[in-house]
Amino acid sequence: MIREDEPAPTMESLLANLGPRRGHLAENVILFGSMLRRRGLDVTTGKILDACTSLGHIDLSRKGDFYLALRVNFVSEREQIDVFDEMFRQYWEPFHLGEEASGLEGLSDECGDEDSETPSFDQGDPSLEDWGSPEGEQGEDAETPGYSPEEVLAVKDFSTFTEEEVRAVRRIITRIAPKLATRLSRRYRRDGHGHDIDIRSTTRRSLRYGGDIVQLDWRRRKLKKLKLVLLCDVSGSMDLYSKFLIQFVYGLQQELKNVETFVFSTRLTRVTDFLRRKELRSALDNLARIVLDWSGGTSIGAALSDFNEGPGKSLVDHRTVVILISDGWDRGDPGVLEHEMQVLHRRANKLLWLNPLLGSPNYQPLCKGMQAALPHTDFFLPAHNLQSLIELSQTLEQLAAA
Amino acid sequence: MSTALGSIEQIQERLRDYRYIADRSMAMTIFLAKALSKPILLEGEAGVGKTEVAKVMAQVLDTRLIRLQCYEGLDANHALYEWNYAKQMLRIRLEENTSRPREEIEQTLFSDEFLIKRPLLEAISAAAHEQPPVLLIDEIDRSDEEFEAFLLEVLSDFQITIPEIGTIRAEQHPFVVVTSNRTREINDALKRRCLYLWIPYPSFEREFEIVSTKIPGIGPRLAGQICNFMQKVRSMDFFKRPGVAETLDWATALVLLHREELDPETVEATMGCVFKYYEDVQKMRGDRLTQLVAAC
Repeated sequence: MIREDEPAPTMESLLANLGPRRGHLAENVILFGSMLRRRGLDVTTGKILDACTSLGHIDLSRKGDFYLALRVNFVSEREQIDVFDEMFRQYWEPFHLGEEASGLEGLSDECGDEDSETPSFDQGDPSLEDWGSPEGEQGEDAETPGYSPEEVLAVKDFSTFTEEEVRAVRRIITRIAPKLATRLSRRYRRDGHGHDIDIRSTTRRSLRYGGDIVQLDWRRRKLKKLKLVLLCDVSGSMDLYSKFLIQFVYGLQQELKNVETFVFSTRLTRVTDFLRRKELRSALDNLARIVLDWSGGTSIGAALSDFNEGPGKSLVDHRTVVILISDGWDRGDPGVLEHEMQVLHRRANKLLWLNPLLGSPNYQPLCKGMQAALPHTDFFLPAHNLQSLIELSQTLEQLAAA
Repeated sequence: MSTALGSIEQIQERLRDYRYIADRSMAMTIFLAKALSKPILLEGEAGVGKTEVAKVMAQVLDTRLIRLQCYEGLDANHALYEWNYAKQMLRIRLEENTSRPREEIEQTLFSDEFLIKRPLLEAISAAAHEQPPVLLIDEIDRSDEEFEAFLLEVLSDFQITIPEIGTIRAEQHPFVVVTSNRTREINDALKRRCLYLWIPYPSFEREFEIVSTKIPGIGPRLAGQICNFMQKVRSMDFFKRPGVAETLDWATALVLLHREELDPETVEATMGCVFKYYEDVQKMRGDRLTQLVAAC
């Protein structure tokens, strides 16, 4: 049975297969599929066709099987199951499945849109109008006597930046970000100036010469990115810094593939997708809308608990570097914070705490939250100005090389 | 060669014949996977039977199980094939003194004899002659995106082109099971290709059935207590919650110790079957342990 000889099923043949009574069933499946797509499920035309075919194989009078056959095709992640269940109830209840399919006729309108409007991650092509190329230095500030603009920027505290300075910093971040978090992996690739001999390629080449090794091929370990998880405190006290740090995080995500970002105040929200797809301005707008408590108080422990119990369980492993960005002002229970930090620390490769307050020379981590957490961090670093970010990138590079 | 699996009930029965208790969603997924010739993607907690089901399906379908264990850095060579260069070179040396024409030697060199078939190629070529095998791609989340893209190609066409030999095409599709522990997101294209099933921890009734089936000597009272205990433990806060594999280990241990019911001393002594982290074992001690056992 060679599959490629089978023609792709057409709507007509599917409908014919389902029998005269099921005439409108396929159309309803299409509509149901569109409904799911609007709720974020990845429902393609292919899946709809498969779903229809699946229905052709089961006993339609069994509601449980009907449900399962659709779910197995349309759901591709555990998190989507609840949404699917809700939509399934809403859509199919009126049909009184399990009885004769009399309720199906005439209930569907014109076929729903069949375009496969799959969301695409334009990772390679974001609208980075704010992220100009590094060559755009010509329009830079006039020279200040004795200091380069970059040096000045590097030590100036984020909270006092002007718009132009913000733009300049972004350009620098674009340069730093690609170097961040590179990691040697087991993969190799051919490289004329590499370190190790590529045995496979060399041997192959030697066959040409009857087995004599005439030329050596080299290879080098392929650079691979580390997994990063960023947990950003966006509560009131972090206000000035967090909007800036989000830009830093945005830059990281544009350059690297394996970055997951969460923000928290009293609740934890995953923002990776928002920061990935849009240009920065609309990303921030989106964020403002979904993160309901930008300027409330913080309960770091509770947020970490949410993370550790939830996405953290599978996202964080021995290859992950977790970066927590917060000033440590915590309204929650220090015991909880300590426990969660411990859990996270055990799971991750390294746990870094970035604290903007470390920028002030007189700062001492005296608040209970910080004290509880410190023993469980690998690196405790400032994050208030560009210099600190540069140092962060150096730390990460060292970690990556380890 | 029967490739039909009959009905969903039949699937459940046949799995049960090999002591695998599957619920209806699993049976439906297998049923449709066969009907639509699509791979299955299984996600779930550790130790719930993802890998197990592939092994049992091989027995049910009376065919080979070909297993590709994924790991970081897995690439096409390790998954597909490689030429046995050393052997080829030796053969060249040996042939140096013969008068065989060059084309003949070359043909020999690039024949099956010198081809090291790795799991994916094995699966494809097996499907040409025998009952199509079960191809288990285990822990795909441990590989990377590049490998996923490559795998997707293979799973779409089930054909591989080896430049020196030609194109090898599977006459029938293997039954493909892909498992993931969710340490990262699998890319959309691969998910679309598959039928998806999330396997949660079993209910009390299901787990009881599993224990009773897989450990024939166990008494119902002990089995019930064990399952109660495990249900409660999974709702509590431990670093690593135990899966069904741990339940079965523990039950086996208790049967070997000739226990008919749980008592605090035995439970404490055998906690190593259930928890694999020191802190977790420490948490399950003293009063907490006694109370929990009493409640089962």
